[in-house]
Amino acid sequence: MMITGSGIHALPAYIYERFYAYMKTLAQQKKRTGLFFISPTVLVLILVVLIPLIFSFIISFFNYTLVDPSFDRFIFFKNYSTIFQDAYLWNSLKITLIFVFTVVPLEFVLGFFIALLLNRDIRFKGLFYTILTIPMVMSPVAVGLIWKMFLHADLGIVNYIFSVLNLPSVNWLGSNKIALLTIILIDIWHQISFMILILLAGLKSLPKEPFESAKIDGASNTQSFFYITLGLMRPVISVAVLIRVIFSFKTYDLVYIMTRGGPGVSTELISYFIYKKTFMGMDFSQATAISYVLFAIIMIIVIFLFREMSGRKWD
Amino acid sequence: MYKKILIIFIVLAVIISMGIAGSGCKSAATTGQADTTAKDTAAGGKSDVTLHMLMEDIPATHAVKALLPEFTAATGINVEFEIVQYMDMHQKLVTNFMSPTGQYDVIEVDNYWAGEFPATGWIIPLDDYIKKDNFDISVYIPSMMDMVGYFPRTGDNKQIYMLPIYSYSMGLLYREDLLNDTALQEAYKSLYNEDLKVPENLEEYVQQCRFMQENAGVSGSAMQAGRGDPIVMEWSNYLFALGGDYYDENWNATINDEKAIKAVELYKENIQYGSPEGALSFALDDALRIMSQGKAYSMISYIIMLPLLTDPEQSTVAESTKMIPMPGEMGLAGGWGWAIAANSQYKDESWEFIKWVESAEIAKKRALDDSTPARIDVCKDADVIAKYPIYPTMLEVISQSKPIPEFLYSAEMVEIVGRELSLICSGEKTAKEGLDLAAKELDELAVKAKLK
Repeated sequence: MMITGSGIHALPAYIYERFYAYMKTLAQQKKRTGLFFISPTVLVLILVVLIPLIFSFIISFFNYTLVDPSFDRFIFFKNYSTIFQDAYLWNSLKITLIFVFTVVPLEFVLGFFIALLLNRDIRFKGLFYTILTIPMVMSPVAVGLIWKMFLHADLGIVNYIFSVLNLPSVNWLGSNKIALLTIILIDIWHQISFMILILLAGLKSLPKEPFESAKIDGASNTQSFFYITLGLMRPVISVAVLIRVIFSFKTYDLVYIMTRGGPGVSTELISYFIYKKTFMGMDFSQATAISYVLFAIIMIIVIFLFREMSGRKWD
Repeated sequence: MYKKILIIFIVLAVIISMGIAGSGCKSAATTGQADTTAKDTAAGGKSDVTLHMLMEDIPATHAVKALLPEFTAATGINVEFEIVQYMDMHQKLVTNFMSPTGQYDVIEVDNYWAGEFPATGWIIPLDDYIKKDNFDISVYIPSMMDMVGYFPRTGDNKQIYMLPIYSYSMGLLYREDLLNDTALQEAYKSLYNEDLKVPENLEEYVQQCRFMQENAGVSGSAMQAGRGDPIVMEWSNYLFALGGDYYDENWNATINDEKAIKAVELYKENIQYGSPEGALSFALDDALRIMSQGKAYSMISYIIMLPLLTDPEQSTVAESTKMIPMPGEMGLAGGWGWAIAANSQYKDESWEFIKWVESAEIAKKRALDDSTPARIDVCKDADVIAKYPIYPTMLEVISQSKPIPEFLYSAEMVEIVGRELSLICSGEKTAKEGLDLAAKELDELAVKAKLK
């Protein structure tokens, strides 16, 4: 059907026909039912996620600031070229990559190890679960404030314990050589529960038959772990690692509470850098430009990880 | 038939989901309507008007909060405080100002933002209200009016955008017992051939801090050199003590001149030889804990810390802690002002509140409840001095201090200077390298703010 100017009143009928035709081509009833159920969610997501994303992308090409929130000046890629000339942005990107690619592997290895321990028949399992869940339910702000007190170089309990053990005190947050490591350790303490619980749920759901067959065939525990457990756990590992990668890139609260990016610029993660641009520099345009650079980096890494981990090569 | 029903369901789902997504807008519109209704009612009896304010979580706020029932009884206007930490305030306020109808009516303005909020038009001039009610502004400490009253500070077009709430100017807090210790006095004399006395200039103070750290078993200075506003606030005292400044009168950055470089070198020296180990990560509360536990000789801090440090229940060195203006030319001034949001629905009612809270009677009640006064008459009131003998000292500190430059990008200026100072003090840049870059960026800010 052709839509012409005079036939504009036929538009609803046209949409109906096209939609009906599309529905007709759906081979399975399953698909139609699925579409029916997800349609409200998809529409809400379009309204509350996609539209703001498009709006902020448009802002990144204008000189749109909190002082002058207007679309009067279209400046093409100037915001992007300006931010790439900022040496402190490159530093933030470097610090963020170090942070993400230290935190996530360590959380995964430690988390998997603890999940394997908890997957055995041990006593007080409920108690361990409770203890492990506590950090996860705490807000990052509370975590930052608590650890800031614990790690106070002069009055903190950690350095007090060190002194009792005749160990030298550590300048946890006041040294530009140690502060990032401190933030990494606290983030691991806070987020490892998530990794443990997801991996543990995956381990619990593994079928028993492959392990029994392997045992009959004479496979050792190590061989079972590397050839069966890891293989079967790949989808769960993919999800856990991807979620943590995405959330690690967005870490902001710990830095805001504990160091404000300092000493110097040693803990200035990219999310905190964006916050400063927005609320101190009052420059929405540059802040959104940096956000889209971050978005692109995360997407590239996520796609790469997804392809590597979710089956294409492994299958 | 089945397909038609399915399509109808999908269309309905679309409509419902759009309704859900739009509910935020709808509720906002409804709120707006409710506000308008309330305002109309307020013209008669004001009984439905509620003023909302974002307040910092400090004793001065709680002093006002305790008196709010008196205001409601007198005017019929309700007041709701949203009390938060300082670091959350700017972000919440700026977001609020971006909305056509704001959530907050009366605004508590830090002197950091006293250039930004009027320049952007986010708060309104109070001149008409002051004139209409003949409100006496001569009772305020003049430096307070300059800082959190007028915008711009000088010139023919200056207007009153704020009325001062209280001051948090900075001065030197020190331990008199250590200064009067005979053994320490002798050791100091033999080492420097000078008397150990209240320091008269910055160099002498830094020298004393190093001496105390090496000889008195305490840190020389409980410094707050954490990145951001802590390090900038503290270092500004060093800069002003030596007669330096951020800009000259034509808004050319002077933050890399000889005085500023010397101020940075002395500051770095004090961090290295006269401060606790973690000073480069300390904010006010970290430094305060060290001072109040008697683990430091001195602290450059806010006058509002004096009541706390001289309270035996909160400080182990309450008896011996004294305060003087910053040794040298000037210290850093700080303070808060009341203002009315341009996007408030209740501007007249907001002025009613400001007029009430800044009246002599209420200001005195607040002062008697741990809130540092900004009015001279309250500072000199016999009842107030009887309860707080330290107020005359505070008045002296306030009069010998000046604020950081107030303009549209003050907050960004603090961030830039804080970053470079932190880099210098952690050894990643020399004083000249850091300050040269800071000066370049400060010049760019002045241009961006159309000041030159």
